[in-house]
Amino acid sequence: MSQVRAPFSLPRILLYVFLLAVCLISIFPFFWMALGMTLNPNEVVKGTLIPGDQFLQNWDKANNNYNLPLFFANSLIIAVVTVVVGVTVNAMAAYGFEKFQSRAREWVFGVLLLTLIMPQIAVILPLFRLIAAMQLLDTYAAIILPFTMSAFVIFFLRQNFQMFPKEIMEAARVDGAGEMQIFWGMAIPSMKAGIASAAILMFISQWNSYLWPLITILSDKTKTLPLAMQSMMSAYTVEYGGLMVIVTVSLIPVLVVFLAMQKQFVAGLVGSIK
Amino acid sequence: MRSRGAFERYLNRSGWIFVAPAVALFAVFMAYPILSSLYLVTRKWKGLTDSFIGLGNFVRMFKDSLFWDSLGHNFILMVVQVPVMIALSLLFAVILHHGVRKFRGAFRLILFLPAITSLVAYSILFRILLQTNGLANNIMLDAGLLTQPIAWLNDPFWANVTIMVALTWRWTGYNMIFFLVGLQNIDPEIYEAAEVDGAPKVMQFFRITLPLLLPVILFSLVTSTSGMLQLFDEPNILTNQGGPANATMTAALYIYRQAFVLSSDFGYATSMSYVIVLLAGVLAIIQIRVLGGRNK
Repeated sequence: MSQVRAPFSLPRILLYVFLLAVCLISIFPFFWMALGMTLNPNEVVKGTLIPGDQFLQNWDKANNNYNLPLFFANSLIIAVVTVVVGVTVNAMAAYGFEKFQSRAREWVFGVLLLTLIMPQIAVILPLFRLIAAMQLLDTYAAIILPFTMSAFVIFFLRQNFQMFPKEIMEAARVDGAGEMQIFWGMAIPSMKAGIASAAILMFISQWNSYLWPLITILSDKTKTLPLAMQSMMSAYTVEYGGLMVIVTVSLIPVLVVFLAMQKQFVAGLVGSIK
Repeated sequence: MRSRGAFERYLNRSGWIFVAPAVALFAVFMAYPILSSLYLVTRKWKGLTDSFIGLGNFVRMFKDSLFWDSLGHNFILMVVQVPVMIALSLLFAVILHHGVRKFRGAFRLILFLPAITSLVAYSILFRILLQTNGLANNIMLDAGLLTQPIAWLNDPFWANVTIMVALTWRWTGYNMIFFLVGLQNIDPEIYEAAEVDGAPKVMQFFRITLPLLLPVILFSLVTSTSGMLQLFDEPNILTNQGGPANATMTAALYIYRQAFVLSSDFGYATSMSYVIVLLAGVLAIIQIRVLGGRNK
């Protein structure tokens, strides 16, 4: 008879207990946040583990007193446009750098990579003055345009394009295909996973963006969810129940993308580490 | 048939067409602002007008104790929180990789979950949870772990602890993913050989796992440190604008407040941001050394 390892040794049980405890800490704020949507402000702070009956009131407050639909729409428009423009521009650049290598372009690529180390706060001060001079303050363009080009995404996609064989490009050229046709018709469709990771990465960083919108958004009409949450939190009397609704709603799109595309999500977030 | 030279020119032109949009955006929204900051640092703002001040901003900076205190807070948070977080990430990664088989995927997913929350959202959640009359204190009081509530957000010491706890919650699972990838790349035969030689598990960890993961650990260390250097969202929201009494004021938050809240002295704010650039540059050099060493 072959030896069978005991399925329930004591150290193993302790290990699982430890992991469960850690997972509980990890997940508790989410659970408490969802619960908070059903409570009155006082109960949110003091905490209770029993769902309350205030959900409709809180939902109503978030939507009518705090204009959740507008802020959600603003966040969504800004994130989606950033992804569409950003992925296009960065994928083109990644493809250009990888498939049409030249000394001059390698030099440009090097300069782009150098900016990866620039701390955000140092770029944002002069950038703010530029955006103000362009009269773009308090517009979607102010939040979208400066963050469409991403050196990291170009770097990430360039590595992905290494897999796309040059022979296919040459064969297509012989058949009379233009370079844009080859790019859009053959290179992009073969890179779905990489593009998805890049899109997720750009979506999340724009969806969660805080410092830049904080200084460029001046009115409610362009306000995004992180700013809406922050201003609710700094109100004299904090409407905790409604706030919990907005916090939860702000997490849902990211959660959905994460659960639906875990592999690409982690690849995008963790980047090109192997 | 096209000549060789004409084809080369065609390829070169195509290459530029592909990179042009990104390079144009880069020039306008990155290169130009960075270059224009060289002008900003020589100016002093008074209200809406500005005048030449030469190196005066830097002289002022050296005498500004609140700026250096803020930078000091960055370093304290960095030195305490980063090692704790990395040790925890490593522990969870090793447990998930070597210790358990059942529910491994579920554990990994749950531990990673905090990494998807926005910094604003989790800062708000922790700020509510950690109010003096809030849930965290109530649970610990009920469990008998505390005899009186801790002023998490209103005491200078505890406010720093709060930020560290929150950061650890947010980033441990994220770093764990790097370590899990690193562990997967270690050949299991190495452990089998160690088993045969009768090496105890603890020795295997220190002699095999740790040295082989060192590049990934250093990578996490450098990225976390660089993140800590730029810490902004947490002290602004979680501890309410660097409070109490500037105890959690960080350099980035102080710079932001100089430019947009207390005054609009862009010259002075930009000058201070140069210190962060300098420190980030040093970190980057370390990072390149580390990663460069890895690829050899």
